[in-house]
Amino acid sequence: MSEIRRESILGLDNIRLDLPIAGIGSRSLAAFLDYLVVMALAFLWVFLVGLLMARLTPAWAPALVIVGWFLLEWGYFAGMEVATGGRTLGKMAVKLRVVTAEGGTPGPGALLARNLVRSLDLIFGVLLMVLDPLSRRLGDRLGGTVVVHDRPPEAAPVLGRVPPGWGPRELALVEAFLARAGGMDDMAATWEMADRILDRLRRDAPELLEGLDTRNDPIGSIRRALQAEG
Amino acid sequence: MDYARFIRLRRPLWDAFDGELAAARGMRNVGYDGLEEMALRYRQVLHDHALAAARFPGTAAARRLQALALAGTRRLTGEGRRRTGAVAFFLRTFPAAFQRQRDLILIALALFLLGALWGLAMAVLRPELGLLFLGPDAVRGLEEGRLWTESLVTTVPPSVSSSGIATNNITVALTSWGGGVLAGLVPLYIVLFNGLLLGAVVGVTLHYSMAGELLRFIAAHGILELTLILICSAAGLGIGRALVAAGDVPRPLALRAATRDALAVLLGCLPWFLVLALVEVFVSPSPEIPAGAKLVLGLALEGAFLALALRPVSLEPTDD
Repeated sequence: MSEIRRESILGLDNIRLDLPIAGIGSRSLAAFLDYLVVMALAFLWVFLVGLLMARLTPAWAPALVIVGWFLLEWGYFAGMEVATGGRTLGKMAVKLRVVTAEGGTPGPGALLARNLVRSLDLIFGVLLMVLDPLSRRLGDRLGGTVVVHDRPPEAAPVLGRVPPGWGPRELALVEAFLARAGGMDDMAATWEMADRILDRLRRDAPELLEGLDTRNDPIGSIRRALQAEG
Repeated sequence: MDYARFIRLRRPLWDAFDGELAAARGMRNVGYDGLEEMALRYRQVLHDHALAAARFPGTAAARRLQALALAGTRRLTGEGRRRTGAVAFFLRTFPAAFQRQRDLILIALALFLLGALWGLAMAVLRPELGLLFLGPDAVRGLEEGRLWTESLVTTVPPSVSSSGIATNNITVALTSWGGGVLAGLVPLYIVLFNGLLLGAVVGVTLHYSMAGELLRFIAAHGILELTLILICSAAGLGIGRALVAAGDVPRPLALRAATRDALAVLLGCLPWFLVLALVEVFVSPSPEIPAGAKLVLGLALEGAFLALALRPVSLEPTDD
């Protein structure tokens, strides 16, 4: 996740929190998906009204279409975000979420305000998002919101035993390796990395490797030697 | 504290907090005790996050704590959902916001009158310029003694024209409102241009001796419609003012405060557009209804709106 731009805010007790700011790429993708949904809903609505036309007087069908399109145009984004606490279907697909500048859940007022200027943001929004370190468009400035990446807390392997002299860099590397070892395509490269980790272990804490079959099951050996869980 | 020991000691707390967050999806099923416990755990998680971020940056525990701290912050802080009932909104929040914006509304009204005078003068002194505003079809109709407004109801069924009129007017109001964020330029333009247009149209119809017809047509809906557009534009101007001249507070805060009032004003105006659309389709074009009755209806609507908006309320900005 280090590729994600982060913006520090001060949380409770002056503890620094880094908001994972969503950049222009992911937000544009989410917006594109949302507009696809809006288009699909609009067509569906016209189709439904067409189906109902037989039962309605001809005067009501166009009125229904006009009102439905209007509600979709102005209501889809605000309605979805208010109902879900800051997510639309597009944002869910790209795993984004609207939060306040303090990282909290925005209220209906802020969500409404940020979506009422959407038509203007189709013109100015991209430029403003490029220029702003928080990637805010006009609506975000009005509502006091930012859009962040919203990924659930990952369940990664955590080491239960730390060899002497290992700092956070070594720990992070071994944890990342264990998290991905099963999914890597290149077996030879995987085993080579495992061997290098085992070499470090032999040097720093040979007692941890006692009784383990490092030759045939290097990854399992690392896992057991460091009591990796999860 | 070493990494393994830190995890051994604190992990049950993180797991518990994680579980609480997952269980309390909407926060609605959390009782007072549960919430207090959650807030305490949140604080502990936040401190663990600070420790992990400083001592063990990049590790799985630090990343998990960061995600937990962010999720907890989002869930436990923020504006939440204030449940202001519709009645309370229209009786208190809207009038207070409206009255706080009174000076802006007066400015918008002055600008509108300026535009109208300008348009009227132009159309009276130079009728050929005024004609440019109407387009050839409307002018041909005027020459034959018809108002272009008649086609509004004769060509399409009333349900269609009223929904079209309502959505169109609301779109103008929303555009004017949101356009305030461009330093107030869009509401400024909309106010001046609508004034100019109305002045010019009245001037042209005067030229064709049709002004009475026109005023009879707009008497029922026009007064409140213009009022609402002006008020929404004034709210947009308020947003623009916060952006240009924030005063003593930081610009983002000024913008947010102005937006809150402006939003309340806008939401308070929207339902009236629906009423007006019905009036505009069923009452305004009807020849059976006497002009006096239309004017009375128009004034009554305006009076009802203003009575609500100018209700004596406490103007102190509250949280709701």
